[in-house]
Amino acid sequence: MGRPPPRAVGGVTCSATVNAVSVLETVLFFVAIPAAVVALVFGLVYMGGTRPGKRYRPGRPFEFTPVWFLSAPERLSGASGVDGHAALTGPRHAELPAGTAGEKNSAGDTGVAAQGDLGGASDRW
Amino acid sequence: MTAGDTTSRAEDLLADRAAVLYGPFTTPQLLRLDEALRLADQSTDLVFSVYVGELDDPVRGHAEKLHSQLADPDRSVLVCVSPNQRALEIVTGTEARKRVQDRDCKLAALSMAASFSGGDLAGGIVSGLAQLADHARRG
Repeated sequence: MGRPPPRAVGGVTCSATVNAVSVLETVLFFVAIPAAVVALVFGLVYMGGTRPGKRYRPGRPFEFTPVWFLSAPERLSGASGVDGHAALTGPRHAELPAGTAGEKNSAGDTGVAAQGDLGGASDRW
Repeated sequence: MTAGDTTSRAEDLLADRAAVLYGPFTTPQLLRLDEALRLADQSTDLVFSVYVGELDDPVRGHAEKLHSQLADPDRSVLVCVSPNQRALEIVTGTEARKRVQDRDCKLAALSMAASFSGGDLAGGIVSGLAQLADHARRG
Protein backbone atom coordinates (compact mmCIF):
# COMPACT_ATOMS: atom_id res chain seq x y z
CA MET A 1 0.00 0.00 0.00
CA GLY A 2 1.96 2.93 -1.21
CA ARG A 3 1.30 6.56 -0.70
CA PRO A 4 -0.36 8.34 -3.58
CA PRO A 5 2.17 10.23 -5.60
CA PRO A 6 2.27 13.97 -4.95
CA ARG A 7 0.50 16.08 -7.50
CA ALA A 8 1.61 19.37 -8.82
CA VAL A 9 -1.04 22.10 -9.11
CA GLY A 10 0.03 25.38 -10.63
CA GLY A 11 3.64 24.65 -9.92
CA VAL A 12 2.97 24.00 -6.19
CA THR A 13 3.38 20.48 -4.96
CA CYS A 14 0.53 19.22 -2.80
CA SER A 15 -0.79 15.97 -1.40
CA ALA A 16 -3.84 14.09 -2.56
CA THR A 17 -5.96 15.22 0.41
CA VAL A 18 -4.80 18.82 1.02
CA ASN A 19 -5.23 21.47 -1.60
CA ALA A 20 -2.43 23.84 -2.36
CA VAL A 21 -2.81 27.32 -0.82
CA SER A 22 -1.52 30.24 -2.77
CA VAL A 23 0.47 33.11 -1.22
CA LEU A 24 -2.47 35.46 -1.75
CA GLU A 25 -4.80 33.19 0.21
CA THR A 26 -2.27 32.90 3.01
CA VAL A 27 -1.94 36.66 3.25
CA LEU A 28 -5.71 37.09 3.21
CA PHE A 29 -6.12 34.54 5.98
CA PHE A 30 -3.36 35.67 8.32
CA VAL A 31 -3.37 39.43 7.69
CA ALA A 32 -6.67 40.60 6.25
CA ILE A 33 -8.94 38.76 8.71
CA PRO A 34 -7.09 39.90 11.86
CA ALA A 35 -6.93 43.42 10.42
CA ALA A 36 -10.68 43.34 9.83
CA VAL A 37 -11.29 42.20 13.41
CA VAL A 38 -9.04 44.95 14.81
CA ALA A 39 -10.80 47.53 12.64
CA LEU A 40 -14.18 46.28 13.87
CA VAL A 41 -13.16 46.66 17.50
CA PHE A 42 -11.78 50.16 16.87
CA GLY A 43 -14.97 51.06 15.07
CA LEU A 44 -17.12 49.88 17.96
CA VAL A 45 -15.00 51.74 20.52
CA TYR A 46 -15.03 55.09 18.73
CA MET A 47 -18.54 54.81 17.33
CA GLY A 48 -20.01 56.90 20.14
CA GLY A 49 -17.66 59.78 19.42
CA THR A 50 -14.97 61.03 21.74
CA ARG A 51 -15.67 63.64 24.36
CA PRO A 52 -13.00 66.22 25.01
CA GLY A 53 -11.46 66.03 28.47
CA LYS A 54 -13.04 62.75 29.35
CA ARG A 55 -11.92 62.25 32.86
CA TYR A 56 -10.88 64.50 35.67
CA ARG A 57 -7.42 63.91 37.05
CA PRO A 58 -6.31 66.19 39.87
CA GLY A 59 -3.52 68.50 38.79
CA ARG A 60 -4.22 68.21 35.08
CA PRO A 61 -6.22 70.81 33.20
CA PHE A 62 -9.84 69.73 32.78
CA GLU A 63 -11.82 71.39 30.01
CA PHE A 64 -15.58 71.52 30.43
CA THR A 65 -18.54 73.84 30.30
CA PRO A 66 -19.47 75.18 33.74
CA VAL A 67 -22.75 73.77 35.01
CA TRP A 68 -25.11 74.68 37.78
CA PHE A 69 -27.50 72.00 38.98
CA LEU A 70 -30.75 72.53 40.81
CA SER A 71 -33.38 69.89 41.35
CA ALA A 72 -35.92 72.60 40.51
CA PRO A 73 -34.36 75.06 38.04
CA GLU A 74 -37.15 77.62 38.50
CA ARG A 75 -35.75 78.36 41.93
CA LEU A 76 -32.82 80.19 40.42
CA SER A 77 -33.86 83.82 40.31
CA GLY A 78 -33.34 85.41 36.95
CA ALA A 79 -33.16 82.08 35.14
CA SER A 80 -34.74 82.73 31.78
CA GLY A 81 -36.81 80.39 29.69
CA VAL A 82 -37.68 78.07 32.53
CA ASP A 83 -40.98 76.31 32.16
CA GLY A 84 -42.63 72.96 32.56
CA HIS A 85 -40.47 70.89 30.29
CA ALA A 86 -37.29 72.06 31.93
CA ALA A 87 -38.06 69.86 34.89
CA LEU A 88 -38.20 66.82 32.64
CA THR A 89 -34.73 67.17 31.28
CA GLY A 90 -33.08 66.07 34.47
CA PRO A 91 -30.15 68.05 35.74
CA ARG A 92 -30.53 71.15 33.75
CA HIS A 93 -27.81 73.51 32.76
CA ALA A 94 -29.34 76.55 34.35
CA GLU A 95 -28.49 79.98 33.12
CA LEU A 96 -25.12 80.86 34.48
CA PRO A 97 -24.96 84.26 36.07
CA ALA A 98 -23.09 86.73 33.97
CA GLY A 99 -20.99 88.07 36.77
CA THR A 100 -18.86 90.93 35.55
CA ALA A 101 -15.63 92.19 36.99
CA GLY A 102 -17.17 95.48 38.05
CA GLU A 103 -20.05 93.78 39.78
CA LYS A 104 -17.65 91.52 41.63
CA ASN A 105 -15.98 94.35 43.48
CA SER A 106 -19.12 95.22 45.41
CA ALA A 107 -19.38 92.02 47.42
CA GLY A 108 -16.56 89.76 46.33
CA ASP A 109 -13.52 91.65 47.54
CA THR A 110 -14.46 91.53 51.18
CA GLY A 111 -13.77 87.80 51.10
CA VAL A 112 -15.04 85.44 53.74
CA ALA A 113 -18.48 85.99 55.24
CA ALA A 114 -19.35 89.09 53.25
CA GLN A 115 -23.02 88.76 54.16
CA GLY A 116 -22.28 88.02 57.77
CA ASP A 117 -24.76 85.30 58.58
CA LEU A 118 -23.86 82.92 55.76
CA GLY A 119 -22.35 79.67 56.87
CA GLY A 120 -20.56 76.82 55.23
CA ALA A 121 -17.08 75.49 54.80
CA SER A 122 -14.15 75.61 52.40
CA ASP A 123 -11.69 72.97 51.42
CA ARG A 124 -8.99 72.30 48.88
CA TRP A 125 -7.54 69.10 47.59
CA MET B 1 -47.30 80.79 21.63
CA THR B 2 -46.07 81.21 18.10
CA ALA B 3 -44.17 78.71 16.04
CA GLY B 4 -41.07 80.87 16.32
CA ASP B 5 -41.21 80.72 20.10
CA THR B 6 -41.46 76.97 20.04
CA THR B 7 -38.50 76.66 17.72
CA SER B 8 -36.27 78.95 19.71
CA ARG B 9 -37.27 77.28 22.92
CA ALA B 10 -36.50 73.88 21.46
CA GLU B 11 -33.15 75.22 20.29
CA ASP B 12 -32.44 76.57 23.77
CA LEU B 13 -33.27 73.22 25.23
CA LEU B 14 -31.00 71.43 22.78
CA ALA B 15 -28.22 73.90 23.49
CA ASP B 16 -28.71 73.27 27.19
CA ARG B 17 -28.48 69.55 26.66
CA ALA B 18 -25.36 69.91 24.54
CA ALA B 19 -23.82 72.10 27.21
CA VAL B 20 -24.53 69.48 29.85
CA LEU B 21 -23.00 66.80 27.65
CA TYR B 22 -19.84 68.88 27.35
CA GLY B 23 -19.91 69.43 31.08
CA PRO B 24 -17.76 67.46 33.44
CA PHE B 25 -20.13 64.52 33.83
CA THR B 26 -21.27 61.52 31.87
CA THR B 27 -24.96 60.73 31.49
CA PRO B 28 -25.10 58.09 34.28
CA GLN B 29 -23.30 60.51 36.58
CA LEU B 30 -25.81 63.24 35.69
CA LEU B 31 -28.65 60.90 36.59
CA ARG B 32 -27.06 60.07 39.94
CA LEU B 33 -26.54 63.76 40.65
CA ASP B 34 -30.12 64.55 39.76
CA GLU B 35 -31.37 61.82 42.05
CA ALA B 36 -29.11 62.98 44.89
CA LEU B 37 -30.29 66.59 44.53
CA ARG B 38 -33.92 65.57 44.38
CA LEU B 39 -33.65 63.35 47.45
CA ALA B 40 -31.78 66.02 49.39
CA ASP B 41 -34.41 68.64 48.54
CA GLN B 42 -37.37 66.41 49.26
CA SER B 43 -36.14 65.06 52.57
CA THR B 44 -35.08 68.40 54.06
CA ASP B 45 -37.20 71.11 52.41
CA LEU B 46 -34.00 73.06 51.94
CA VAL B 47 -32.81 73.89 48.43
CA PHE B 48 -29.57 72.19 47.46
CA SER B 49 -27.68 73.18 44.37
CA VAL B 50 -24.33 72.32 42.88
CA TYR B 51 -22.14 74.57 40.78
CA VAL B 52 -19.20 73.02 38.95
CA GLY B 53 -16.95 75.48 37.18
CA GLU B 54 -14.32 78.13 37.57
CA LEU B 55 -14.60 80.49 40.52
CA ASP B 56 -13.16 83.99 40.47
CA ASP B 57 -10.79 85.08 43.19
CA PRO B 58 -11.60 85.39 46.01
CA VAL B 59 -13.22 82.00 45.70
CA ARG B 60 -15.36 82.37 48.80
CA GLY B 61 -16.70 85.72 47.66
CA HIS B 62 -17.68 84.36 44.27
CA ALA B 63 -19.38 81.36 45.85
CA GLU B 64 -21.39 83.65 48.13
CA LYS B 65 -22.38 85.79 45.17
CA LEU B 66 -23.67 82.72 43.33
CA HIS B 67 -25.55 81.72 46.47
CA SER B 68 -27.23 85.12 46.62
CA GLN B 69 -28.57 84.58 43.09
CA LEU B 70 -30.68 81.63 44.17
CA ALA B 71 -34.37 82.33 44.56
CA ASP B 72 -34.42 81.66 48.29
CA PRO B 73 -30.86 82.15 49.55
CA ASP B 74 -31.80 81.83 53.22
CA ARG B 75 -32.98 78.27 52.80
CA SER B 76 -30.39 77.29 50.22
CA VAL B 77 -27.24 75.23 50.38
CA LEU B 78 -24.82 75.78 47.50
CA VAL B 79 -21.91 73.47 46.81
CA CYS B 80 -19.31 75.04 44.52
CA VAL B 81 -16.63 72.86 43.01
CA SER B 82 -13.79 74.17 40.89
CA PRO B 83 -11.80 71.18 39.64
CA ASN B 84 -9.05 73.23 38.02
CA GLN B 85 -8.52 75.42 41.06
CA ARG B 86 -8.98 72.36 43.29
CA ALA B 87 -11.29 74.43 45.44
CA LEU B 88 -14.51 73.47 47.17
CA GLU B 89 -16.91 75.87 48.84
CA ILE B 90 -20.11 75.09 50.67
CA VAL B 91 -22.36 78.09 51.34
CA THR B 92 -25.39 77.86 53.59
CA GLY B 93 -28.06 80.54 54.00
CA THR B 94 -29.27 81.93 57.31
CA GLU B 95 -32.03 79.36 57.80
CA ALA B 96 -30.04 76.51 56.29
CA ARG B 97 -27.14 77.24 58.60
CA LYS B 98 -29.28 76.40 61.61
CA ARG B 99 -30.03 72.99 60.15
CA VAL B 100 -26.62 72.26 58.68
CA GLN B 101 -24.01 73.65 60.99
CA ASP B 102 -20.62 74.78 59.80
CA ARG B 103 -19.02 71.79 61.49
CA ASP B 104 -21.22 69.42 59.49
CA CYS B 105 -20.34 71.30 56.32
CA LYS B 106 -16.67 70.97 57.06
CA LEU B 107 -17.10 67.25 57.61
CA ALA B 108 -18.91 66.87 54.28
CA ALA B 109 -16.31 69.06 52.60
CA LEU B 110 -13.52 66.84 53.89
CA SER B 111 -15.11 63.71 52.51
CA MET B 112 -15.89 65.39 49.20
CA ALA B 113 -12.33 66.66 48.86
CA ALA B 114 -11.08 63.14 49.55
CA SER B 115 -13.15 61.83 46.63
CA PHE B 116 -12.07 64.70 44.38
CA SER B 117 -8.41 64.09 45.07
CA GLY B 118 -8.99 60.56 43.84
CA GLY B 119 -10.46 62.00 40.62
CA ASP B 120 -14.08 61.14 41.42
CA LEU B 121 -16.02 64.38 41.00
CA ALA B 122 -19.52 62.95 40.70
CA GLY B 123 -19.08 60.43 43.50
CA GLY B 124 -17.75 63.10 45.83
CA ILE B 125 -20.64 65.44 45.12
CA VAL B 126 -23.26 62.73 45.51
CA SER B 127 -21.88 61.51 48.82
CA GLY B 128 -21.37 65.08 50.04
CA LEU B 129 -24.99 65.96 49.24
CA ALA B 130 -26.18 62.85 51.03
CA GLN B 131 -24.14 63.78 54.06
CA LEU B 132 -25.39 67.38 54.11
CA ALA B 133 -28.99 66.25 53.71
CA ASP B 134 -28.50 63.75 56.51
CA HIS B 135 -27.31 66.47 58.86
CA ALA B 136 -30.14 68.75 57.78
CA ARG B 137 -32.71 66.06 58.58
CA ARG B 138 -31.31 65.56 62.04
CA GLY B 139 -30.46 69.18 62.80
